[in-house]
Amino acid sequence: MSAFCLMIVAVWVLGGPLAAFAAPKTAETPSEPKLTSAYPFTGQRGTTFTAIIRGTGLRGATTVFSKTAPFTTAIEGIETEPVEDVKPSAKPKAPIELVRVKIQIDAAAKAGRYPIRLITPAGISNAIPIAVIDHPVTDEPAPSHETPDTAVVISKLPAALNGRIAQRGETDYYAFHADAGETVTFEVFSGLPSTGAAGGNANGFDPSLSIYERSGSWFDPKRVNRIAFNDEPLWVLGKGTDAYLVQRFEKAGEYLVRVEAFSGQGGLDYGYHLKVATGEAPQERSSPGKNWAERKYERALSTDRLNDLAERGGKARDQAKIETYRTSVAPASSAPMFRLPGTLEGAITQPGEAQRSKFHLDGPQDIAIEIETPTSAPPLFNPIVRLLNAAGEEVATNVFAGRGLCTGELNKSLQAKVIVPLRDAGDYTVEVRETTADLASPEFRYRVLVRPQIAHLGDVKIEEDKVNVSPGDAKSVRVVFDREEDYRGAVAVTAESLPPGVQALAGADFEPDKDPPLHPGKRERYVPRNERLVVVFTASPDAALTAQPQLVRLVVRPIVDGKPGAIVSMKEIPLMVVAKP
Amino acid sequence: MVCLSMFVIPAVCCLAAPQAVSLKTIPAKVTLQYAGAQQQFVAIANYADGTTHDVTDTVEWRLSNPALAELIGSARIAAAADGDLTVTAVLAKGVEAHSAVQVKGSAQARPFSFTQEIGGILTKRGCNQAACHGGVKGRGGLKLSANALYPKDDYEWITKGGTYQVLTAEVKGERIPRIDLKNPEQSLLLTKPTMIKPHGGGKRLEKDSEDYKAILTWVKSGAPFGAEDSGKAPKLARLDVFPPLAAMAVDGQHHLLVTAVFTDGHTEDYTHQVLYSSNNADVATVTAEGVISGKRLGETAILVRGAGQVASAGAGVIGPPISNYPEVARGNFIDEAVFTKLKNFHIIPSELADDAAFLRRVCLDLTGTVPPPERVRQFIASKDARKREKVIDALIGSPEFVDYWTFRFSDIFRVAIFANGLTPKWSQKYWEWIRNNVETNRPYDEVARERISAEGYGPASRHFLPYNQVGAPNDVMAEEVRVFLGRRLDCAQCHNHPYENWSQDQFWGMAAFFSRVFKMGPVVFDHPSNMDLSSKDVNGSIQLLHPRTKAVVLPALLDGSPANLTPESNPRKELARWMTASPYFAEAAANRIWGQFFGRGIVDPVDDFRSTNPPTHPELLAALAADFREHDYDLRHLMKTIVMSRTYQLARSTNATNSDDVVNYSHALPRPLDAEVLLDAMVDSTGIQEIFSTAVADGSSVGQAPVGTRAINLKDPDMFFSRFLELYGRPNRGAIPERSIHPNLGQALHMLAGSTYADRLSAKDSRLARLLQSGASDAKIFEEFYLAAYGRFPAPDEIQDLEKTLAKRNDREAGLREFVWALTSSREFAENH
Repeated sequence: MSAFCLMIVAVWVLGGPLAAFAAPKTAETPSEPKLTSAYPFTGQRGTTFTAIIRGTGLRGATTVFSKTAPFTTAIEGIETEPVEDVKPSAKPKAPIELVRVKIQIDAAAKAGRYPIRLITPAGISNAIPIAVIDHPVTDEPAPSHETPDTAVVISKLPAALNGRIAQRGETDYYAFHADAGETVTFEVFSGLPSTGAAGGNANGFDPSLSIYERSGSWFDPKRVNRIAFNDEPLWVLGKGTDAYLVQRFEKAGEYLVRVEAFSGQGGLDYGYHLKVATGEAPQERSSPGKNWAERKYERALSTDRLNDLAERGGKARDQAKIETYRTSVAPASSAPMFRLPGTLEGAITQPGEAQRSKFHLDGPQDIAIEIETPTSAPPLFNPIVRLLNAAGEEVATNVFAGRGLCTGELNKSLQAKVIVPLRDAGDYTVEVRETTADLASPEFRYRVLVRPQIAHLGDVKIEEDKVNVSPGDAKSVRVVFDREEDYRGAVAVTAESLPPGVQALAGADFEPDKDPPLHPGKRERYVPRNERLVVVFTASPDAALTAQPQLVRLVVRPIVDGKPGAIVSMKEIPLMVVAKP
Repeated sequence: MVCLSMFVIPAVCCLAAPQAVSLKTIPAKVTLQYAGAQQQFVAIANYADGTTHDVTDTVEWRLSNPALAELIGSARIAAAADGDLTVTAVLAKGVEAHSAVQVKGSAQARPFSFTQEIGGILTKRGCNQAACHGGVKGRGGLKLSANALYPKDDYEWITKGGTYQVLTAEVKGERIPRIDLKNPEQSLLLTKPTMIKPHGGGKRLEKDSEDYKAILTWVKSGAPFGAEDSGKAPKLARLDVFPPLAAMAVDGQHHLLVTAVFTDGHTEDYTHQVLYSSNNADVATVTAEGVISGKRLGETAILVRGAGQVASAGAGVIGPPISNYPEVARGNFIDEAVFTKLKNFHIIPSELADDAAFLRRVCLDLTGTVPPPERVRQFIASKDARKREKVIDALIGSPEFVDYWTFRFSDIFRVAIFANGLTPKWSQKYWEWIRNNVETNRPYDEVARERISAEGYGPASRHFLPYNQVGAPNDVMAEEVRVFLGRRLDCAQCHNHPYENWSQDQFWGMAAFFSRVFKMGPVVFDHPSNMDLSSKDVNGSIQLLHPRTKAVVLPALLDGSPANLTPESNPRKELARWMTASPYFAEAAANRIWGQFFGRGIVDPVDDFRSTNPPTHPELLAALAADFREHDYDLRHLMKTIVMSRTYQLARSTNATNSDDVVNYSHALPRPLDAEVLLDAMVDSTGIQEIFSTAVADGSSVGQAPVGTRAINLKDPDMFFSRFLELYGRPNRGAIPERSIHPNLGQALHMLAGSTYADRLSAKDSRLARLLQSGASDAKIFEEFYLAAYGRFPAPDEIQDLEKTLAKRNDREAGLREFVWALTSSREFAENH
């Protein structure tokens, strides 16, 4: 193994899973304001509460900024958080500021999460969410309720509570009554990002829930015993790491619900919101968003998808609607036929089952296969889609095989989309099966779209969510996009609603060369061509400072045959012209 | 049940010779086939005092028809002519026994078999032992299979020569045959062991010996492989040894009788064609003729190797007979087996442990928790005749039982971040899976099947991902076999197992069940065998190649039974089905659990079953395994059966007959507490919780287990650093843990000054502090701590000593802290007894 590989391994070992236990990072020398958390972050509509916003570079914050929030806010005070014992050898850290914000929620506010930012002399901060709900919310009382004996009593359900795992190893107990046969739903929302991304919660708070009964034991009559536990797996597409648990109580009595952070983490940013309600309620999930998702299993493959793709390729919406067909467990020789474009639907309900359908091709055609898993996604349901020719030979699959950079070990991954050029006329069989031989479920539903390729712009990412620029200075924003299915047109990015004295220029920045994959396999079938461009915001030396952010719109369009197409991506970014530090 | 007839004691051991009442000869009936066929006999006498003795060398042996056979030793005959005769042994007037002998085919030479003739000689002479030519690469340029397990290979090496290589089937060096067909007497196979030519192994053959002549005759006849070449000739299936367990006094002797059983059912006497060795020559030795001599009190195994087979017999060297052996109550089949053997070994089991000792022992064994003082008081005071069973039921049904056995199985199943995909959430899910299995008392065979064959993203599949890579098939298979079948096949991955009948081919055949395990993202699955690993995109192969022959290895079960596999099925399901249906499975599980309760397995170490490491109580192990199977692999039932036995409940104190016994369960043996249990006991006794923290280099960002978390409840203990746990032998679970029970200097220093002790003694809210604040008397404090730490009341003399010692201290509180330190650093505290 090369030194480079060793270094990669070391980073993975130390920076990967173990980083899951790291507290949210704070900038060492904050040049810009950065919010890390708000506590509490949930309030009932029509009420007023005070949240403490924690972060760095917040000194002198003047205003809370939110474009859509159904509440009014007022900053009541700012103080610096006392510093705990610091080892002499420790690197100096930026002081943490606590901004006390009064939040008054409209009586007619719609429940949801609303981003807020702080405006400071150094500019506008990143956004953190404040949640509005319909029910009364109770803050956890000041004394510790870390033991069953000190549990906060929930006198009535449904209940909503704000709490915080303020220290490492802290556990918060709540006591409630359940009737015999009663079902209760518990849900905990983290105030920090909880994305279920690799590493779990490297930058967030992954809460877990446990239900206890006071059944004692021979050793300790007061012992409480766990009867249910929730901690969700990682990397399940479409699911975060917030905790959700539905429990049916066989016996009437007092029970306890315990909230804690995964693996004993904790800190002042670890705020949570606990919901306890009778009955079985579905888990609240954040909506997938309006952004285009080219290669995600959870995207909906609508009957109008060809038009959507054509539009993203700068073409007219004059494509045919897509028909839907059922697959069969029949062998390829007697599998049902379908026509392109067509969407195949089915579910792998029996272990080892393979389901098929066939189509006929009159001549060469470049096709795309897209896979949607409406109810259960990888890694729980792992659909393998194979395209077989008339001789039964595999000509395409959604399994992308390659070799690792370090060890050269063969690795594979399932892809939600594959493109393949078919050069021979004849019958082709689409075969769908679960990766494992043993697993099956009615939840293992799939929709497989087989269609002609349509060149278009795929995912577009603009990662920066704010710009603070000083007169005479420049800040760049990257726009990263995918060329799908051999899209060869140009891409236009425009910046609209710029404040006076600020310009948006086309730019370029340095991107280091990357080592090519050792054996990339047929990468072009699974990975789109990825490019980026840079928008540079410059403030003229005499540009006026702004007291409020200007929402600048970055708009992305395809350009085909010299004509701009429809908007495929748009993002509003708050921009401020601020004095030089 | 141990059969009484299996125990025979030589007459020479008797203090005053009792009267013999009956005699029997073994075998009672036998057929001698082919010219020169021989048979050894053993005579066993029953005496008026109920004892039995080997009188083979004492009796007079007679033949009813000397024309048909001749005596070639005191108890051995050789066939001479066809016909029926009777062999009679006469011990005394009216005390005689008879064996019926049929001689047939006496004019017909035995069909030659290389395996039996040459392989037998090489085995008997020790030539193919692991330390000689039976070693991995052989010795001195000659490679032989251990104990002639692979006669075809031996034949090749002997007749063609060459040097064995581990990583390739190619022969190294010039091939020099070990036989010389033109000049048979010059064959190296003869000139070396007779020292005509220098031989590192010394002299192994006399030139006029029968074995020398046999080899010479074989070479002269063209060195054939023999009847087995046809594939139809019967093969040696096993060796039976009589008696399976021989008891004798110090300086006593006993004859073994070895019978070879062939695949066609016929048997032959192999008593003089095998190699004997003692596992412990300090206890008993054995001659080349199979006569065991007792040396000192104890028990050992006599190993018998011959022509590709290994068998064993137990040898117990016992004390003098006990004329008034007491009646010992027996609770269940465990007691029947253990106490029967003890009686035959002239060992009287200890008394039943008193209530306090029993309670502490059973609490620690079932729950890893010391009983609280109030429970000790209640239990001792209770007059309920069934209180022991009731407390056992309460403990088995307790949440602490779930805690403790989750911990135990987390050890065996290796819950650890680095072993479970480098992801703490995965190791914790795996831990939760184990806990749920324990909590619901899921049948153990189901647990095993799921673990062995797990696919997908489920928790049990995480154990296939050390360092987030799919474990090597050989490593994974060896671990599953060790965990669930109690066998260590590891040696066979590089070469045929030197001590067992496991071949390298068998090892890799088993490993091939795991060769298709693949990881796609976090999903574990078995790659279909009818599809290329990488199709046309990237070269790759899922085929498992034999490391030596480079041939493709297909899944093959250890016993050679066919595996029902299809290209797209999960082959591990078939393996899991076979493993859990194997008789090895139940006996390995029963032995493992037994070992937890007694500190040693019936086979010990608990996962090292092999013919050269036989069980001390084979019938008991078989009965436990059968009971486990009959109760649907119910671990709680198995544990209750064990702890309900009188055997388990015996006192630690010994009597004159059992003080030397360490293997027969005649008294309780003290066992050191595992590090985690000891630390939890410290917490319970002192009343001060342990804080477990994770840590990274700069100490900045870590987690902490909730206050009150017990050491046995740490889900992924490798994340939590603990000086105490490291010092006391907590394993890192990088491999199947084998905990060190040996004390070390670090422990001693930690006892003196470590935070586990020092901080607790001075803590403000400790048990001691609370007692002091309540105004408790010295006697009350002594009693409370004795109950908390030892689970018993202090004895009057102990109280007197404590009071004297404390009186010498001017500072009462400091003196009491020293008392608590003394208690918690004592052996009585640190052991289960």
